[in-house]
Amino acid sequence: MPTTPAGRRYLKRFVPTMTAYVAALFVSNRVAAVWQPEGAALIALSFLPALPIIGVIIVIGLYLAEESDEYLRHRIVVSMLVGLGLMLSVTTAWGFLEESGVVPHVPAYFAFILWCAGWGAAQCVLALRERVQGDAA
Amino acid sequence: MKNSLRVLRAERGWSQQDLAERLEVSRQSVNAIETGRYDPSLPLAFRIADLFGLTIEAIFTNPAKDTEQ
Repeated sequence: MPTTPAGRRYLKRFVPTMTAYVAALFVSNRVAAVWQPEGAALIALSFLPALPIIGVIIVIGLYLAEESDEYLRHRIVVSMLVGLGLMLSVTTAWGFLEESGVVPHVPAYFAFILWCAGWGAAQCVLALRERVQGDAA
Repeated sequence: MKNSLRVLRAERGWSQQDLAERLEVSRQSVNAIETGRYDPSLPLAFRIADLFGLTIEAIFTNPAKDTEQ
């Protein structure tokens, strides 16, 4: 993330949110293993690790809303769209393959991981292209 | 979009970072605009024009007219 004021605010929000995710995941797994809850308690416990991830998505949204450098915002949005395209393509193809029994079932939360991976890869490619063109200019 | 930002900047002896600070944008933004990889919004184009004391048309080449030539 860029070192703009909005980028610094993003990091200040992102780190505690991800820490909360790790804690929520640990608590959820431990409680489920020890007490083996059922019904509403199981639903609440299973939903717990998703809350900080939803928080991360909100933190990302806040960054986009607060970033005043229009070019950096544009570059990140383009990268996010690349990630979105990758995620939709892979999950669509995987869904059909899974239906035919060719590939195993994968939890739906992998969609977010896939989107992040695509976003990150696109950011790297754009930054590298920028460096090459910047040096050449 | 073609522009004369690099020339105008060089005339004043400013680096990309100097110009970026004056425009309150990142150095990457200045680089992207100079190399024509990114077209600035109208508000940013006005800020650039105001900084150099010129009109937008004096800095940025109208793409339609550029094609006709």
